[in-house]
Amino acid sequence: MSAAREYPPPPDVITGRVAWVFGDDFDIDLVVGVENIKSYDADFLRGVVMQAYDPGFADRVRPGDVIVGGRNFGYGHPHYPPMVALRDLGVAAVLAESFSPGFWRGETHNGMPLITVPGIAGAVVTGDALRLDWRTAAVTLDDGRTLRGVPPSDRVVRVVEAGGSLKLLLAEHSRT
Amino acid sequence: MGATMAEKILARAAGVEHVRAGENLPVRPDHMIAYDFPGYTDVMFRQMHDDFGIRELADPGRYVVFIDHMLTRGDAREEEVHQVTRDWCAFYGITLHEARGIGHQVMAELGYARPGNFLVHFDGHVSGAGAFGALGWGVRRDLLEAWVTGEIFLDVPASTRFELTGEFRPGVDSRDLVHRIIGDHGADGCAHQVMEFGGPGARAMAIDHRQGLCGMAMFTGAVSAVFEPDSTALEYARRVAGDGFVPQYPDPDADYRAVHHYDLASIVPQVVLPGSARSANTRDAADLDGTAVTRAFIGSCASGRIEDIRAAALVLDGRNVAPGVELNVVPTSDAVHRQAEQEGLLDVLRAAGAHIARSSCDFCFGYQKPLQPEENCISTGVLNISGRMGSTGANIYMGSASTVAASAVAGTIVPAQEVTGR
Repeated sequence: MSAAREYPPPPDVITGRVAWVFGDDFDIDLVVGVENIKSYDADFLRGVVMQAYDPGFADRVRPGDVIVGGRNFGYGHPHYPPMVALRDLGVAAVLAESFSPGFWRGETHNGMPLITVPGIAGAVVTGDALRLDWRTAAVTLDDGRTLRGVPPSDRVVRVVEAGGSLKLLLAEHSRT
Repeated sequence: MGATMAEKILARAAGVEHVRAGENLPVRPDHMIAYDFPGYTDVMFRQMHDDFGIRELADPGRYVVFIDHMLTRGDAREEEVHQVTRDWCAFYGITLHEARGIGHQVMAELGYARPGNFLVHFDGHVSGAGAFGALGWGVRRDLLEAWVTGEIFLDVPASTRFELTGEFRPGVDSRDLVHRIIGDHGADGCAHQVMEFGGPGARAMAIDHRQGLCGMAMFTGAVSAVFEPDSTALEYARRVAGDGFVPQYPDPDADYRAVHHYDLASIVPQVVLPGSARSANTRDAADLDGTAVTRAFIGSCASGRIEDIRAAALVLDGRNVAPGVELNVVPTSDAVHRQAEQEGLLDVLRAAGAHIARSSCDFCFGYQKPLQPEENCISTGVLNISGRMGSTGANIYMGSASTVAASAVAGTIVPAQEVTGR
């Protein structure tokens, strides 16, 4: 259940490139292939991540990059390892037209900024540079355009700032 | 503007007068449910004890744990997983319900799914509690928040209202309705919302079918589903739980994101193609006629209740499962199993060549008798993604118990009408 590695909270402004643009109803399990969804071994996952889409993905992604999705991103029974693999490569946020609730809840728990940005899937292509202020859901593209998304609630901001729900809960409720 | 059922249930659970869709606030669940599964409950218990220093629960009666997965191999690993759960539940004074059936059904039989109650689980199929006018929400790993603090922060969801009229025709049930809803409105047609069901069609629907319908809510993108509690639901709840509940009803001027009307008599058998329950995979069962199957499965938290077994028996009575097809039937709980036995339904199924298995979740997730590569299965399980029931090289189609039984007889996917003539 626990991710193999821990990740620090994101910076206030995430600066990177669009590492990939997925379509509507995208099942996150497909990022590593259904046969690999039970692995939490980051080294193993690195070898299988995005093989069905772009075999060079793992070598070109840099810290701060984001992935972009269409409507209902994360649809299905979203397992955690695909996002472990993407985070391990440096993917810092997911921007999508909308998110599937199960994926949204699970990855928010893990401290990943998941930002709903209407129009994002048609506004960018793989490789585009962008800046994301995740608290205000403001996305600034390289050509100066700005897209406004739906800012996360105060509670979700606190979860992401803490590096995930477990860390926030520990800070608030640990008796040890 | 009035309140939806979900808003009223959450307001009561939060201890406030009103809540409105979009608000984020801590809510106190009436019960916080889980089933034991490696990496989930064992880790959560250890975190409560080691990381949070919790040695005693303020209110252990609100915690409910089921053992309903991994019951059928009888090996040492299975026993080890369950012993960890037994030990932790004993340590914290939590009542453990072991091997009585699938928890999402047993919670109803034991009176946890009461009208007006709010329940959380890490598993989203807890939404089946909506059949009784309870709100069950699958919060994934955030169940730990509820277990540790007694409350959970939630975004109050908007609701979509489904006004139902008519009654299902023979060979059609709520599985066909939910897949039709997905086909019509998409896999995110109710995203982040609650599906609220009412109207004369809802009141005419058997409780079992309401449970199956609510249990599948997540595949419309919904976080849950609720039926307006009617006399059927209230009588059930009183029988299993006494009068200890406060049913909630929507206001006439409740604010809905959308209102959809369905005449249940207009629904025809639906089948979902392998892959997922998304809109583009939904077909009329009649359109798939000729698709050969080697396996058929009736069971799961969505479709193994007495009404499903009765429907299967109607199809299988006096007929035989086709050569080369294996039909497995798993009653959703021990109580359902006993009732099906008493009604003579299981004898009918056995005579037709079906295998009856002990109630558990194990077929549905490929733990028991996993599918082999190249197999085609027609299933009432909750999920048909690649690898769900065994090999990633197998294909899983989904349909109602009637459709699965008929397909098992025909050896190819067919609506029940083609086998029964009704």
